[in-house]
Amino acid sequence: MVAFRNSDTSARTSGLLIRCVLYSLLALGLIIFDKRYDHLGQVRRFLSVVAYPVQVAVASPFAGWNWFRESVTTRDVLRLDKVKLEAELRLANFRLQRYEAIEAESQRLRALRDNTADVADRFVIGNILDLDLDAFRERVLVDKGARDGIFVGQAVLDSGGVFGQVARVEQLTSEVILVSDATHAIPVQINRNGLRTIAVGTGDMSRLKLPYLSTSTDVIAGDLLVTSGLGGGFPAGYPVGTVAEVKRDPAQSLADVEVRPAAALDRSRELMFVWLKPAAAAAASALAMSSAAAPAAAAGKTAAAAVASKSVSTPKPTTPAAKPAKAALNP
Amino acid sequence: MMRNSRIRRVPMALSALAALAFSVMPLPAVLDPFRPDLLVLVVFYWSIESPRAGGLALAFFGGLALDVIRGVVLGQHALALTLMAAWATNLRLRLRVFSVLSQSLTIFTLLTGYQFVLFWVDGATGNPVTAYSRWAAPVIGGLLWPLVAGVLSRNHDR
Repeated sequence: MVAFRNSDTSARTSGLLIRCVLYSLLALGLIIFDKRYDHLGQVRRFLSVVAYPVQVAVASPFAGWNWFRESVTTRDVLRLDKVKLEAELRLANFRLQRYEAIEAESQRLRALRDNTADVADRFVIGNILDLDLDAFRERVLVDKGARDGIFVGQAVLDSGGVFGQVARVEQLTSEVILVSDATHAIPVQINRNGLRTIAVGTGDMSRLKLPYLSTSTDVIAGDLLVTSGLGGGFPAGYPVGTVAEVKRDPAQSLADVEVRPAAALDRSRELMFVWLKPAAAAAASALAMSSAAAPAAAAGKTAAAAVASKSVSTPKPTTPAAKPAKAALNP
Repeated sequence: MMRNSRIRRVPMALSALAALAFSVMPLPAVLDPFRPDLLVLVVFYWSIESPRAGGLALAFFGGLALDVIRGVVLGQHALALTLMAAWATNLRLRLRVFSVLSQSLTIFTLLTGYQFVLFWVDGATGNPVTAYSRWAAPVIGGLLWPLVAGVLSRNHDR
């Protein structure tokens, strides 16, 4: 039984209604100003700096526990880890040898066709703060903010693939919305056949879906999905997930495709924020490389390279100049 | 009277801060949708226990702090919490003589109202959360009410 004091039974709470109305109007005003006019950016920034110590304080016991667990691991475990990491590094380096050459070649070819995608240019690594922001939205708080140049809409990756994008930036922190959030969608491409579509979150960290594919679409379980770079938010070619299951119901016009995200959405602690190099600059550098590297190429190609290098020298480049290049190649 | 209400500001603020911390504390993903709104229970308790000590101010600023920490639209939790705290203050004389069961049921109703205001603001600002599990929090909050009220009434100075 809960015992309340009976001290104020006779005293009426003066002006309860007035205060209630005042506070409610204030709150409503805040909602409208924050949502409709977005005037509260500065206020929010300030408040979030005040809230930061609380957030860090709440997260710190869990961070401390993780630190403790890491610092008491045995020598054997560390040695096993080291062996495993070395093996992974060797494999990664082996793959990387060809990757750089292929990347450059792909940029050159794309530049000739004038559809160079945005390339990742610069990374900043941030740590996830151990907080549950909202049970019904897949979001995390990261300890990098406006101070570090983070901006809204920025692509965020982890070591496995695309993690999400920045939804809100405060002074010291930023909020990242995961690819699995029910309100998140990302333009993707099936790596096997280049088919473009959109992957939509489900609200479940282990699952995305492709809702816009018809039953006759060429998609099979095991297909790798990569970012298509369309829309400009994400760099092209980063893994988003693999197709886990394709259900085709003949009565429906759309297939039911389930995707396992490539990023470790529920386990990653470190995220990479990506700055893109604008497509025009990337194209120019790729073309500069190609025109420098191919002085003695075949006749048809030199013509194209000549046109292309002209496009580099003119300040307002690729679009008008690359058209004749295509025309020259076509007949 | 005034001295009493001033003395109780400290446990009020401390309990609200603890509840605020609990609202963003990491829980296993399975339990996460069922996290009770502890801050709301704490605000209700103080609204009923000492309505003149500024329960509404606590509701408004506590709600605002929740908005900032959770990163939702500013004023959402503040609005819901203010309205429901005012209602709880209005019901306080009846609540004090209710049995534990009736108290829990009333608190459940208030928590549902709170959840509904949140739901409405979510919808009005364009990101509705339609998961049914969001309505589990009021049930759990109602069940937890005797415990929370018991702990709070034992611990603040008399």
